[in-house]
Amino acid sequence: MRRQILCLSTKITHNSCTKALPLTRFLSTQEAIDRRYHLFTLEKKRQLDKVGRVEKIEVQYKGVPNDCTLVMNKGISTPYDCARHLSEWHMDTSALALLDGTVYWDMHRPLTENCTLELQNFRVPEPQQVNRAFWRTCSFMLGACATVAFKDTVPVKLHSFPGPDIRSGSFIYDVQLPTLDDWKPSQQELITLGAEYVKLVRQNEPLERLEVSEELALEMFVENEHKTKQIPSIARNHGKVTLYKVGKHVDISKGPMISTTKQIGRVAVVSVHNLNGSNSEVEHLYRFQGVALPTGVIINHFAFSILTDRAKKLNTVRSPVPKTLEHEDSESIAMKA
Amino acid sequence: MNQADVSKLVSKLRINVLPKHRNLNNPKGPEGRIDKLRKTVTGLIKFERIELNYNRADEARQYAERLISEAIRHGDCHKPTMDTANFWLLEKELIHKLFKVLVPRYEATNLSYTRLISAPQQQYGRHTDKAVLELRGNPFPDLMNYKTNNKLLIQNVLLDAAKQDYKQSKINEIANNIGKKGNSSLDKSSKNIEVPEKPTES
Repeated sequence: MRRQILCLSTKITHNSCTKALPLTRFLSTQEAIDRRYHLFTLEKKRQLDKVGRVEKIEVQYKGVPNDCTLVMNKGISTPYDCARHLSEWHMDTSALALLDGTVYWDMHRPLTENCTLELQNFRVPEPQQVNRAFWRTCSFMLGACATVAFKDTVPVKLHSFPGPDIRSGSFIYDVQLPTLDDWKPSQQELITLGAEYVKLVRQNEPLERLEVSEELALEMFVENEHKTKQIPSIARNHGKVTLYKVGKHVDISKGPMISTTKQIGRVAVVSVHNLNGSNSEVEHLYRFQGVALPTGVIINHFAFSILTDRAKKLNTVRSPVPKTLEHEDSESIAMKA
Repeated sequence: MNQADVSKLVSKLRINVLPKHRNLNNPKGPEGRIDKLRKTVTGLIKFERIELNYNRADEARQYAERLISEAIRHGDCHKPTMDTANFWLLEKELIHKLFKVLVPRYEATNLSYTRLISAPQQQYGRHTDKAVLELRGNPFPDLMNYKTNNKLLIQNVLLDAAKQDYKQSKINEIANNIGKKGNSSLDKSSKNIEVPEKPTES
């Protein structure tokens, strides 16, 4: 990766003195990713600086080993920081935080007021929301996987992913591959995609959340016409767009998501379907499908083969249209003013 | 018979004790064995959960149980008990832990104070039985997790959906067949065509 960037920069410096370079090509892949990542980190730093004088909040922790009160920093400390006060096990297994018994909160999202805190892992008695967050994260990571998996000659434009539907059997990301006409991946290519996914997972990156204004979001996704179309409708309600970052990949999602990528255990990218028949608006739209289980879930290989076989069928969750994107039911879950 | 009641002299342990002790081979002989066990007992009281060879774990467990039960029985003002604790716990701050933390924890219990769980063996190399020895009521997450029958766990949701999907496909198949039986003459002719095709495909 570093070599690639170096190559790009040397090319640019060389060509700038001789003749103009078609920069659009570069903005569509690596440079666009770097630029978005840079803007994300800058905005995050700005928001952290805006906190100003540190105020303290009291967080009532409930759960193992015992209930206790933690004094944390307002607008800076996250549930993950609370878990760091408890034990390594809490840090590794907690996927989602539950504030005041009602609000599901990302592990890496700063706390804003006094609250009670419960940490939720994948084995809690009622794991529906944790499962949804897991499935959403898997979709998100599939987008990151698709952007890194192809060669530089194949431009990849992420379109969107629908809300998590676990009973459909597979998580989805819709990707536009403008240069590939009726591509059907071979078994080897699917295995390679899966391997890229596992590589991303093993980097053990936290999933960071950031709410940005509509203008900044448009600026970040300037090279992606699908995202720029979707952003105004997403920002209509609050004027804010929720972004998530893992590694260098930044994408739009309403969240919440799990804590780190390492919590994704066994994973397989099982099929890529061409959606051109059903969705005529976007040319060369491909639906990437996969199936995954959390770390620590041990399942028989035969049972897993049943899941992968089912996930191979085209998942007919409605094709994402900007209006009916994921943020539709966002108010009920993670929006706390 | 003027024989003393044994249970009044020695506290009855709630674990199985073998009739004969294990020698735990050591160049120093019995003294070395006791040294080994002292280290293990100290480690157990300190860390509350340790992984080690089964034989040494089982042997050390008996001494640890005895130590805790003596501490509960006599308290910290009893000279012989204090000496025993002093002998078995190599780190002296653990004596405080024994009397101030573990005695209150186990006073009311009617179970053994420790738990011995077989651990998985090494896949390669020497086959030695491994075990995890832990104090009950430790702060760590439970080692035995049998709670996989919750319908809402993600793997169960996925498998349940797959099962339902399979059933639905079977029902559809049957429904299609019923439709075909209505015009049986057509069905037979179509079957006749299908049969010769199959070997060419494979």
